[in-house]
Amino acid sequence: MPGEYRPGSREDFDRLYRTAYPRVYRTLSAILSDPEAAEDCAQDAFVQAFQAWKRWRPDAPAEAWVHRIAVNRAISYRRSVKLRSVGQLLRRLGRPAPSVDPAEAATRPDLLTALRSLPPQLAAAIVLRHYHGYNNREIAAALGVSERTVGSRLQQAGERLRAALESPFSLEGPSAFHSEGREHYAED
Amino acid sequence: MPRTERDPLGPGFAGRLRSELDRVQPAWSSPRYLGPARRFGAWRVAPAALAIALTGLLGLTAFAATGSANPAVWTERVVTVIHPAAPTATPESTPSPTQPQAAPPVQPTEKPEPSDRPEQTSSPQPIESPEPGDDHSDSGSNLASPTPGDR
Repeated sequence: MPGEYRPGSREDFDRLYRTAYPRVYRTLSAILSDPEAAEDCAQDAFVQAFQAWKRWRPDAPAEAWVHRIAVNRAISYRRSVKLRSVGQLLRRLGRPAPSVDPAEAATRPDLLTALRSLPPQLAAAIVLRHYHGYNNREIAAALGVSERTVGSRLQQAGERLRAALESPFSLEGPSAFHSEGREHYAED
Repeated sequence: MPRTERDPLGPGFAGRLRSELDRVQPAWSSPRYLGPARRFGAWRVAPAALAIALTGLLGLTAFAATGSANPAVWTERVVTVIHPAAPTATPESTPSPTQPQAAPPVQPTEKPEPSDRPEQTSSPQPIESPEPGDDHSDSGSNLASPTPGDR
């Protein structure tokens, strides 16, 4: 079966890598602003998954399982970057802040910037739902939380993301996200 | 029962997010899970290989030193090499009788110096040697006699 994986099978893991790596990478690129860091975390997640591949149980989709490892890696990475940036900030006290390249600012996708400003768990929930089309159960498996927590995180992430996109520093107007329509998060 | 929640982002959000993320092209570098597995395997074997190499080197050195492949001979050789180290110190003292001969002349020259000591030591010793014995006996009797008397 094309969608099924056997734990411990090398061929199946290779197939999982080919299928899931781009998707996992894109999820991480919505969490991490550095493409190299996203690649590192995605690769490390697959290394970790490969070492535990024999112990994997098909209770949840294999891609959600890899997503869980990858998101945890990204959370750890962001935490370390935050600690490093605090140190750099302390060293930079009194000096002028580095200027932002206007060309880069003009071409930067505003939505991804807003997503990366969210806590990684919230950004991951948004991407898993709205990009990968996961239901709450799959998101819960991917993030290692309960389905109820997934619902509240999606709600919280949506509100914070909308606030970030409506800020005056946003490059695009908020009209694209203002709609009378409703989309529901079902917790089935 | 399924619970529904309001989406604050609107219906156009999913399409926008999809178009943004589809533009992100992953770097298709070679899968790292293929490389580290081999590296971990090599690291697991490394301590055992190092121990075997050290043991072999030690054995070769012992064979070269003793000319025998028998480990019992190696230990005997080690004992004979270490043990003669102590006797070598005593033979060195035997050829040195020339030094003891030189040493005694030094002592007579120093004898005039101890002449001061006998004055100090000899004078108190003959006088004080009987006194402490008497003092102790007297003091002991003096101290001992009152206590039983008091009691």
